[in-house]
Amino acid sequence: MSAHQPIDRIVFGDNQFFGINHMSQDKAQERAERFAKLDNVMAVYDHAIEAGVEGIMLNSNDRAKGICDRFRADKAKYGHLRWYPSIPYPHKYAAMVNDKGMVGAAQEMLFAQGAKSALGKMVSGGMAVATMDAVKLMKMLVDQEMEIYHDLDIRVVFLQNIIVDLMLGYDVAEPFVAYCQHIRKKYGAYPGLITQNLPLLRRKLIEWGIEDVVICASINKIGYLMSPGVAEYEAQLAQNDGGKYPVMAMSTLASGAVPPVEAYDYINRLNVQSVVFGASSPGNIRQTVSLIEGVPA
Amino acid sequence: MTSPLRLGIIGAGRMGITHYSIANAHDHARITGVADPSKLVTTMLGKYAKVGTYKDFKGLLKGEELDAVLVCTPPAFNPEILDAVLEKKLHAFVEKPFMLNSVDGDRFAKGFDAAGLVNQVGYVNRWNDMFTKAKAFVEDGLIGEPLRFRSEMFSGTIVRDVGEAGWRASHANGGGAVYEMASHAIDLINYFFGAPDRVGGTSLSKVYSKAVEDIVSSSLFYGNGLAGTLYVNWSDASYRKPTNKFEIFGKAGKIQVDQHGMKVYLSEANDAHGLKQGWNQLYITDVFSSVPFYVRGIEYTAQLFDFIDAVRASKAGDNAPTRCTFADATANLKVMEQLFADDAARIAGDAA
Repeated sequence: MSAHQPIDRIVFGDNQFFGINHMSQDKAQERAERFAKLDNVMAVYDHAIEAGVEGIMLNSNDRAKGICDRFRADKAKYGHLRWYPSIPYPHKYAAMVNDKGMVGAAQEMLFAQGAKSALGKMVSGGMAVATMDAVKLMKMLVDQEMEIYHDLDIRVVFLQNIIVDLMLGYDVAEPFVAYCQHIRKKYGAYPGLITQNLPLLRRKLIEWGIEDVVICASINKIGYLMSPGVAEYEAQLAQNDGGKYPVMAMSTLASGAVPPVEAYDYINRLNVQSVVFGASSPGNIRQTVSLIEGVPA
Repeated sequence: MTSPLRLGIIGAGRMGITHYSIANAHDHARITGVADPSKLVTTMLGKYAKVGTYKDFKGLLKGEELDAVLVCTPPAFNPEILDAVLEKKLHAFVEKPFMLNSVDGDRFAKGFDAAGLVNQVGYVNRWNDMFTKAKAFVEDGLIGEPLRFRSEMFSGTIVRDVGEAGWRASHANGGGAVYEMASHAIDLINYFFGAPDRVGGTSLSKVYSKAVEDIVSSSLFYGNGLAGTLYVNWSDASYRKPTNKFEIFGKAGKIQVDQHGMKVYLSEANDAHGLKQGWNQLYITDVFSSVPFYVRGIEYTAQLFDFIDAVRASKAGDNAPTRCTFADATANLKVMEQLFADDAARIAGDAA
């Protein structure tokens, strides 16, 4: 890896641990049960590290803090790893909105850490929710989400696609500008945006003059979760400057619809800087790493 | 080049803010105004998205020149809102369950049709690739004449006592598993087979809620011999996401379908569809369609873009009903009313 390479070519994801499987609910459930034990999760990470993985993407959720604690606890073994967290934890907010409505959820978030926390002070300091500075609020929510990743070597802080794509439809630059600035300044990391609309997002970032952002998107040869379609993705990737907008491919196997050899043969022909993948068996992990590296399996 | 459609959002809750993003991404539409009672929401939208903001629909309809509205308010508010929308002659997309009774539903279905206005309700499963594929299979006679069906929906929405305060806690506000969830399961039945002639054996039960039902079960009967069951439970914590399950049995086979996949059992192979005798598994990756912009799921974009395209066609003089009209949603309301009546009759009978 060259010194100029801003992000890892191979990043190990976490969907396999959390009962997420677009193809099969049963399979998802089976895995969720197996990985309810943190030891089983760590064993998979150890296999990945043994296979040469040095970058880890972790989605904020109930389990993430426990996982981070394990990694922090063994600096000798894990200290060299580079981290790619993705925030926020959407289910947490969705459940709150379900229970309390939008305004109730907003209040609960703001006071989550008590009236004496920074957020609590801000709200109780006479600033009505309605007149609140949204950018300041966003920064505080980001910082709250980022607490669990303290003392890890953070390379990119990704914003989840549900937020990115929702904001993208509003066609407003400010939240993107503010998020990217905050991540650079506060965490010394690359801002990252996860999207199912890479062509539109990239065009907008260029239009808004936002550079040095990692774009993470589903990229697979069948066009699954790629709006508006494969042809537009290929055209945009071909002209993309990977220095300004490094691209990380996810869903490369399209939930298992594309066999690994075919999938990475396709990815490796594209102008893609990085790949995030998830797997749980040592064999699948080794095979995927060597396929992404372009080594015959 | 035609100017883009001007759309207004009434009710910027979870669905309203999602629809805003999707509709605004259409090449020929933009959101120009939003009405919502929350000052937080309107302040943010006014400041960053720079749209006209109003505390209620009256202000929006008065203050903005609009072509159509997206109505995402709790259904109890909708009759008053739609009266004003109809008077303004605006096309309307309304979130499900649309209304709380079929009398209101009928009135607006007729009113909007008579005025030549596009009307659509957000029963989003009608745009899900798996369900539309299954419907095409059934209509193509793949499993022969349908004889029985099961329409089920599960979620872990209410898994503890949430008290009496929220809008979910009363039927008057559109709360309860019938309006909120069974409506989806009923809509799938109506989408596939049309409305049933009668329902029977209905049981609406409480798990955690005090004034509304958490579990819905019933049987539905058709004059031609088709029959099926409905089972909906929103207090089932084993489901991470709301899930519809639909099974159709015919003389020549069986289809089991949910939002993400489908299993087809055939007594004989069907070469035209590339399906073999016995079990066939179809994944979403086998049938998905592409949308120009993705936020929450393919079907959410597909339904709104269909609405926008229908409004554009209507303005060009081409009127065609949408995939889920006010009349379709009213047919669902009639089934819901049958469920309430059947359950009440059973309880009255038990008491007698």
